[in-house]
Amino acid sequence: MGLADARAMYPGAEIVEADPQADRRLLEGLADWCDRYTPLVAIDGADGLFLDISGCAHLFGGERALLEDAGRRFLQQGFDVRAGLASTPGAAWAAAHFLAPVPEELERAFGQGRPGEICPSILDEGREAEALAPLPLSALRLDPAVRAGLESVGLRTVGALLSAPRAPLARRFGAMLLVRLDQALGRVEEAVSPRLPVAPLSVERHLAEPVILMEDIERLVVLLTASLKPDLERRGEGARTLELLLFRVDGAVRRIAVGASRPLREPALVQRLFHERLAALENGLDADCGFELVRLSAALLAPFEMAQADLHGDADDGGDTLALLADRIRARLGDDALLAPVPAQSHIPERAVANLPFAKQPTRGKAVPAAAVAEAAPERPIRLFASPEPVEVMAVEVPEGPPLRFRWRRVLHQVARSEGPERIAPEWWHDRADAPTRDYFRVEDEQGRRYWLYRQGLYGASKEMPRWFMHGIFA
Amino acid sequence: MATSAVAHEAVFALRREIARIEGVLPERLEAPETARADEAGIVLRRAGIPGIAPLPTGVERLDAVLGGGLPNAALTEIHGRQTRDAGATAGFALALAGLALAHGRVAGPVLWIGTSEIFREAGMPYAPGLLSRFGIRPESLLFSRAGRLEEALWIAEEAAGLKALAAVILEMRGTAARLDLTATRRLHRRAQLSERPFLLLRQAAQPEPTAAPVRFLVASAPAAPRQILSMPLPGSIGRPAFNAAVTRSRTAMTAQFTLEWNSDERTFHERLADAPAQDTGVVVSPSADGQDHAAASGEVLAFPAAGGAAVAAAPPRQPPREEHPAHRRPRRAG
Repeated sequence: MGLADARAMYPGAEIVEADPQADRRLLEGLADWCDRYTPLVAIDGADGLFLDISGCAHLFGGERALLEDAGRRFLQQGFDVRAGLASTPGAAWAAAHFLAPVPEELERAFGQGRPGEICPSILDEGREAEALAPLPLSALRLDPAVRAGLESVGLRTVGALLSAPRAPLARRFGAMLLVRLDQALGRVEEAVSPRLPVAPLSVERHLAEPVILMEDIERLVVLLTASLKPDLERRGEGARTLELLLFRVDGAVRRIAVGASRPLREPALVQRLFHERLAALENGLDADCGFELVRLSAALLAPFEMAQADLHGDADDGGDTLALLADRIRARLGDDALLAPVPAQSHIPERAVANLPFAKQPTRGKAVPAAAVAEAAPERPIRLFASPEPVEVMAVEVPEGPPLRFRWRRVLHQVARSEGPERIAPEWWHDRADAPTRDYFRVEDEQGRRYWLYRQGLYGASKEMPRWFMHGIFA
Repeated sequence: MATSAVAHEAVFALRREIARIEGVLPERLEAPETARADEAGIVLRRAGIPGIAPLPTGVERLDAVLGGGLPNAALTEIHGRQTRDAGATAGFALALAGLALAHGRVAGPVLWIGTSEIFREAGMPYAPGLLSRFGIRPESLLFSRAGRLEEALWIAEEAAGLKALAAVILEMRGTAARLDLTATRRLHRRAQLSERPFLLLRQAAQPEPTAAPVRFLVASAPAAPRQILSMPLPGSIGRPAFNAAVTRSRTAMTAQFTLEWNSDERTFHERLADAPAQDTGVVVSPSADGQDHAAASGEVLAFPAAGGAAVAAAPPRQPPREEHPAHRRPRRAG
C-alpha cells in the first residue's frame, strides 16, 4: 500500500520514516543489555537476539524464571517482545516466532500475577519434533524459494516435511533444507556466534539499591576484584585487560575498559586504574538513575610471574611502579600519552626511531651495543620536527653548498658556519624509484643556534629546483 | 636606633618565615654541625630532609654560585626567551640530566613530558641525537605528550614522586596561570621526597615566582670548533655551547656563564671571555706554509732519535687567515 492510499484510509495516520541504522543501534543496545543474562548474545537478523543461556539459567532460578524475568523487563521498558526457549537455536527461533504468547496476553498474565502458566514457548528437550510438527514451514528459517517449492508440492507444515523421505527432498530442494530441519531438531549442532568475545573470567554483583556515586563504583571494583583474585591465582594468571560493565536501571549499558602493561591481581591496583579511567570520562558516568548491576570481566589474561621481595624491601621492583604509572597515564589520557622510542633499521632520520606507545613497545632492556653505535654515528639533532618545515634559502655560496642566509618561520637567519653535506639517499626498497636524495647541513646562525637543514633534490637532476627544509635543532 | 632594631627584627622574622616555607633554613644564622659550609660561610640545609650532596657541574665558579653544585633532589627551572631557543634549553636540561646519570646516583629512564603544542613548535625529542650527545640511551627514555597543560602537570606530579625514574623533564611554552607557586611547590616537594632531579623547561616564558631553588636563563652560544689532533678545525661546529645565566639560586648570587658540554666526559667546561675560540667561514682544511703546495717532506723520520723531540714539539706553522687561499678566492662552481 502506498503512502497516499494509507493516508486516504486513515487521515490521522502518523508517518515515521524507516531508519534501519537506528533500529540496528537499538538492537545492539538491547544485546548489550541482555549481557546480564549471558555473555553469549548474538544478533539475529534485523529484529532478533539469540541468547545462549547454557549454564546461566540457574543463576536466575531456572529457565522458566529467566524467561519470565527477561519478558517482564522488556515489557516494562516498553518493548513488544516474544521469546522462545529450547535446546536448539532453530527450535527456539520457531518457538519465539510461532509459539510465544502475544504481548497483550503476556501483559494480562503479569497483571493477574500468574505469569508461570502462559509459557508454551518453552520446549522441553526431545520434544522438538512434536512441538514443531504443526508449525508452518517458515518456522524452519528456509529460503523463500525453497519454501514456495515445498508448498507447491503440498508440504505445508514441518510435520509433513518430517514424514516425507529425506533423500528425494535433498535432491530436489538442496542440502540446506535438511540442515535447517536437523538444526531445529538438534541432530546437527548449530553454533550461535556471540557478538562480543567472551571474557575468560567475570564477576558481577546485583545491587538491591542502584548506585550513583563514583566512589561507590570504585568500592565495588575493589570488591569485585577481590572475588576475581582467587580465580586468577588458581589459574596462575593476572589480568591484562579489565572491563567494567555498568547496567543502568533504564537499560543503558556502559562499558569501561582499562589495560595494564603487567598482569594484575591486586584489588588496590585495579582500583587505581579505574579511578583514573573514571576521572577521565568526558561528561562523567551519566549515572542518571543509577546502576543496578556491576560486572567486572578480565578480558585478557596473561601468566602472572611471582617475584620475591628481599628482606629490606628496597630492591629494584623490576619496573612495577613504572608500569603502574604507565597504566594510569594510559587509563586517563589514552594510549598515545606515554611513548617509548624504539630504534628501527633505517638510515632515514625520521624512520630511524619510532615513538611507540609504552604498552605496545617490544621488550625493553635488550642490550644493543648502543654506545658503539653512538661513536660511529654522525651527529644527529636533539629535536626533530614531525614534518620538515619548508625554508626559504636566499643565497647559496655554491649550488651544492650550504646556505648563507635562510628564512624560517618568517625570521631571517644569517649562517655563520656550516658543516656538511651529509647525503642521505632514499630507501629505494620502500620509496618510489625517483624519490629525491637529501643533502643535510648542520648550520649555526649568528646567535649561535644550531639547525639541521637539508636540500631535497640535486641541481640539474630534475626539472624543478631543489627545495630546502628545516628538519631538526641541535643543542 | 630602636626603630631600626625593630625593623631589623621584622625583616629577620620575615626572612625566617620565607625560608621555612621554601624549605631552606635561614642562612648564616644557624650552623648545624652536619651542614656544609663553603668559603663564603654560607650554610645550606634542607628542612626536615636529609641532605643529598649537590652534584658538581665541573665548573667551579658555577658550583660556587649554586652553593656547591646542582641541587640533586629539587626542582630546577630552565628558561628560554624564545621558542627558537628550544634546542639550547633542551640541550642544557639534558646536560643536567646527563650529569645526574653520569654521577651514578640515579638510574632508570628519563621521562620527558611536554604539551603537544611545544612538541609541535619545537620538535619532538630525537632519541639518536640524545644518545650521541648526552649518553641517554633510547631504552632509558620515555616521552609523554599531553594535549593540555593540566594533563602534563598531572603526569609530572605523578612521575615526580617515583624513584623508578632517573629524572623528569617537564617542558611547556608560554606563561601559564596553572603553573604557579603552589603547583611548582608541589613538584619541588615530590622531587625532594623521591630524591630525583626535576627539570622544568619553560620556553618563551617570563620569569614568574616559583618554588624552584635554582633558575637558569639559557640561550645558545656559538660553538667552539672541533678539535682535531692538537688544533681546532676551522669552520667546524664543535661541542654544544650555552649562555647560561643563574638568575636565582640559594646563595642569592647571580652570574653569567658560557658553558660547553663535554659529551665524552659528561661534564661542563666554562669558556672564558679571554679565550674566544671563534672562527668563521672557512670549511676546507688549511694547507701549510703558504700557497697551495704541500710541506717539504724528508725531514721528519718515523722514529725520531732522542734529540728529535724538538722537531715533534714544534707544531707546523698555521697560516693566518689572509694567507688562506680558500678564504681569498671563494670557490665558484662552473
